[in-house]
Amino acid sequence: MNENKLSGNEQLRLDIKKAYPGFQMEVALKVNRGEIFSLVGPSGCGKTTLLRLIAGLEQPDRGTIVLDGREITTLPPAHRRVGLVFQDYALFPHLTVAGNIEYGLKVQRLPAPDRRQRLAELLALFGLEGLAHRQIQHLSGGEKQRVALARALAPKPLLLLLDEPFSALDYSLRQRLRQELKKLQAKLGFTAIFVTHQQEEALSFGGRLGVMENGRLVQAGTAEEVYENPATPFVAGFLGEANLLPCSVEKKKGRARIRLGSNDCFTLPLPENFPPGEYLLMMRPEDLSPDPALAGRVTGKIETLEYLGSGYRLEGRCGAGIIRAFIAKKYRNLREGDQITLGFDPRQIKLFPASAPDGGGPSRPVDNSPGI
Amino acid sequence: MKDGNCEGVRSHTREKRPLAGRLYRAYRAHTRWRAREKRHAGRNPVYLVLLLLFYLPVLFLLVKVFLSTGFRQELTGFLRSELFWNTLSFSCRQALYSAGLSLLLALPGAYFFGRFDFPGKRLLRSAMVLPFMLPGILVVLGMVVFYGNNGALNHWLALLFPDRGWRFTGLYGFWGIILAHVFYNFTFCLRLTGEAWERINPALHEASALLGAGPFFTWRRITLPLLAPTLLYLFLLVFLYSFLSFTVVLVLGGYLYKTFEVLIYIEYSSRLRFDRAALIAMVQLFLLAGFLYLQALAGRRLRRGGLFTGTLPPLKFRDYPWRTILFLLYLAFVGFFFLSPLAAVVARSFFSRGLPGALPTLENYRLLLTDGFRFAVGRSFTSVIAASTGLAVTVAFLTVSLAYYLARLRRDCPWGGADLWLQLPLGVSFVTFSSGLSLLAGRILPSGLLILWAQLFLAFPLVYSMLRTARRELGESLLEAAALLGASPSRILQTVELPLMRPALSTAAAYAAAFSLGDLAAVLMLGRGRVVTLSVAIYRLIGHYRFPQAIALGTLFILISLVLFLLMEGRSRPRLQDVFPRPEEAEEE
Repeated sequence: MNENKLSGNEQLRLDIKKAYPGFQMEVALKVNRGEIFSLVGPSGCGKTTLLRLIAGLEQPDRGTIVLDGREITTLPPAHRRVGLVFQDYALFPHLTVAGNIEYGLKVQRLPAPDRRQRLAELLALFGLEGLAHRQIQHLSGGEKQRVALARALAPKPLLLLLDEPFSALDYSLRQRLRQELKKLQAKLGFTAIFVTHQQEEALSFGGRLGVMENGRLVQAGTAEEVYENPATPFVAGFLGEANLLPCSVEKKKGRARIRLGSNDCFTLPLPENFPPGEYLLMMRPEDLSPDPALAGRVTGKIETLEYLGSGYRLEGRCGAGIIRAFIAKKYRNLREGDQITLGFDPRQIKLFPASAPDGGGPSRPVDNSPGI
Repeated sequence: MKDGNCEGVRSHTREKRPLAGRLYRAYRAHTRWRAREKRHAGRNPVYLVLLLLFYLPVLFLLVKVFLSTGFRQELTGFLRSELFWNTLSFSCRQALYSAGLSLLLALPGAYFFGRFDFPGKRLLRSAMVLPFMLPGILVVLGMVVFYGNNGALNHWLALLFPDRGWRFTGLYGFWGIILAHVFYNFTFCLRLTGEAWERINPALHEASALLGAGPFFTWRRITLPLLAPTLLYLFLLVFLYSFLSFTVVLVLGGYLYKTFEVLIYIEYSSRLRFDRAALIAMVQLFLLAGFLYLQALAGRRLRRGGLFTGTLPPLKFRDYPWRTILFLLYLAFVGFFFLSPLAAVVARSFFSRGLPGALPTLENYRLLLTDGFRFAVGRSFTSVIAASTGLAVTVAFLTVSLAYYLARLRRDCPWGGADLWLQLPLGVSFVTFSSGLSLLAGRILPSGLLILWAQLFLAFPLVYSMLRTARRELGESLLEAAALLGASPSRILQTVELPLMRPALSTAAAYAAAFSLGDLAAVLMLGRGRVVTLSVAIYRLIGHYRFPQAIALGTLFILISLVLFLLMEGRSRPRLQDVFPRPEEAEEE
C-alpha cells in the first residue's frame, strides 16, 4: 500500500516528532481539501513550530508529512508549494505592494504578461488596486495583512498556513478581516491551517479545529464537537469558560449519586460499568441558572457579580470550590454576599477522572452520555 | 463627630500647605528654567562661539585664497598641473581600492554576525571599534613591524620556506597604503554591515524560500537590496576617510604617493608655501563637498532596512557544520591580519633591538629614557608623556563639558539645523582646518592653545552626537520627579542627572582623549616642533629608523589605547548614527 496515498478528501496528513531541549512535539493531523483548519492553543504549545515543520523551515526528527499525495518531509521549503502568512507579515520592505505580490511569480519565471494578469487579479481580489505602487511602510495594518495574504496565494500553493495573522490588529479590524478571509476561502477554495491562541477566532471559522497542548494535538473535530465534548479538562478550560469541580460518584440501586463538596448531591443515570470514585465535574457557566426547577443543584455564596449588558457573570464559592455562571438579567436583585442555589441539567455535565489533573495530557472524559 | 472629622482634615491641610507650596515653587522653578533654556537654545553664546571657532579658520582660509593676487592663474595653473591630476588619480584609486576591499573582506564576517549568535559575539563586536580608535601612527608602526621588509612576516616566510626566497616587499607603496587603510576601516565595516544584516528579519528569507526562491535568488533580490544602502554608505565613508588619509600616506607613501592632505602638509611645513597650501586646501574642500553630497544621498536611504530585534539561531557545529568551519577559518584569518601587527609591536618590544629571534630584554624601554631618544624626538620621554596626557585630558574635559552643555540645552529640540552645523566639521579635512587655523591665529596664539583648538574641532562632532543622543534618551520624567520632590535645579543636576549620565560622559571623554592622542596632523602643523606628543614621537623615531624605541613607545601607546577602550566598553557605546551622523536624523525625530 502506498503510504503517500491520502484517503478521500485529505489534502494534508502528518505524523511527526520533533524534540527540543525541554520540549517535545508529537503531532498527528489530517486536514481536508478546501477547509480552514484552526489550530488553537496557549502560547508556547508548539503551534508555530508545527507550521514551521509543515513549511519545511524546520525538520522533524521522525515521521512523515504528505501533502496532496506527495511526501514532502525532506523537501526544502522552496519546493513544497506551501504558502505562509507570518505573524508580522514579513513583507519585503524594499519592494512595493506589487513587487511583494509578484515576487513568487517571478521566482516561478512566469512570462511577464501572465504575471501582470495574475497580479491584476490578485490586486482586484484583495482590493489593493490603488496601492500597487505604494511602499510597504506606508500601508496600514489591514492593508499589510491583505498584501501578505495575496503574496502567499499568488503562486497558488497547495496549502496556506496562517500564523496568527490578525494578532497585531485591533478588535474590529480583526473581526472584519476574519470575515473577509472566510469569504475569500469560500470563493477560491484553498486549504488553510489557521493558527491562533484566541478561542473566539478559532471557533468563528466554523470548520474543524484542533487544540494543542505541550506539543501535542489533544483534540481535533468540529468547533461544536470540541466545545460540547472536550476531551480533557484542559480543552474544556481553554475553549470557552468551564467550571471544573472535584466530585465523588457513588453507585446506589443502578443510579449514580454525585456528591459535590459536603452539601450538594444529585443523581445521574450512568452506564452499568461506570466505576464509582473521585472525578472532576465539568459544566459550562451558561448551563447554570438560579432556576429551582432544574435537577442538579449547587449552593454557594456570591463573591463577585459583574454586569455584562446581556446579563450577569457570577462567581461564587460552593463546597467544592469556585463556581462561575452567566445568569439572565431577570436576576438583577441578587447581591454580592447572597446565598444562591444554582441549578443545572445533569445531562449537560462531563466527568473526567480525577487522576488527570487540569492540563494533564490526553486523558479522555468518562463516557457518561449513554442511558441519560 | 462630623465636625471633629472636618477639623481633622482642615488641620491636616494646614500642616501640609507649606510643604506643598515649597514643592510647587520648586517644580515651577524647574519648568520656568527649562522653558528659558529652550527659548535660548539656538542663540546661546557657547553655541555661537563654537560655531565661530569651527568655521572661522576655514572661512579665513577661503577668503585669503580668493583675495590673493593672481588667484585665478594660480588655480588654473594648479588644476592643469601634473601634480594635481596625479594626486587626484592616486587619491581616488587608493580610496576606491580601500573601500572596495574593506567591504569585500567585511561581507563574509557580516553574514555570520548578522545571521547567527555565537559565544563571544558581543565582545568581538566591541573589539571591532579598537582599530578605528587606534592612533594612525600606531597602525603604521604595526604595519612596518609586521609587514615591513624586515618585519615578522618576512622573518616567518624565511623560516618556513628557506629556499624559496619569498618576501613581501609591497608595504612602502600603493598596496601598503591599501593594506593599512583596510586594516583601519575593515572592522567597522564588518560591525556596521553585521548590524544592518542583523536588523533584516530572518522571516523575509523564509518568506522568500516559501515563495520558491533559492538561496542565490533570495540573496540577490532580498538581502542585497536591503543591505545596499548600508554598503553604499560605508563605501563612500571609507572612500572619504581614505581620500583624506594623512598619517598612513605620509609614512608609507614616500615621494611617489601623496593625498591632498599630505600635499597641503608638505607645501605648508616643508616648502613654507602657505598660499599654495591654502589653495590646495580650498580645491580639496570643493572636492569633498561633492563626496559629502553623495554620502548624504546614500545616508538618506539607510532607514529602509528592517527592524528585526529577535533572537538569532546559535552557530553550532552540530547544526551548521560547514558554516562553523568557515567562520572559524574567517576568524583565524581576521585575527592574523589584525592582531599580528599589534602583537608584533608588543612582542618585539621585548627583544634586543626589536629584532625577531634576538634575546629577550627590557633594553628598548630603557632606551626611552636616554639622550638618544631626546636627540631623535626633541623632547625627553617624560615631557612627551606629560604633553600627550595633558593635552588628552584637557581636550577630553573641554570637549565633553561644552558638548554636554549644548546637548543639555537642546535636549527638547528635535535633531535639526543647529545640530547639523556642529556636525559639519566631520566634512572638513583636518589638515585644511589646521592650515586655516595657523593662518588665522598662528602668530597670535601659542602652539599648545592652537593644538587644543584644533583637537576640539576634531573630537567635538562625535562627542556631541553621543551626548546629545544619551541626554535625549534620559528623558525628563526622572528629573521632573526630583523637582516635584522639592529638589532645586542644581541639586537635580548633582544627584540625578550627572550620576545617570556618567557612563555616557566617561565614554565620550575616552573617545575625545583617544582622538587627541592619535592626532598627528595638528601637532605637526601647529606645534611648530615645540609640542611633541606620543604620535609625533613615534613618527620621529620611525623617521630616524630608531625602531627599538618606536616599538617600545608603541607598546605603551597600545596599553593606553587599551585602557581607553576598556573605559568605552561596557558603558554606552556610540550607535551608527552617533559615529557617522546622517541627514535623515532630522526626519526620524
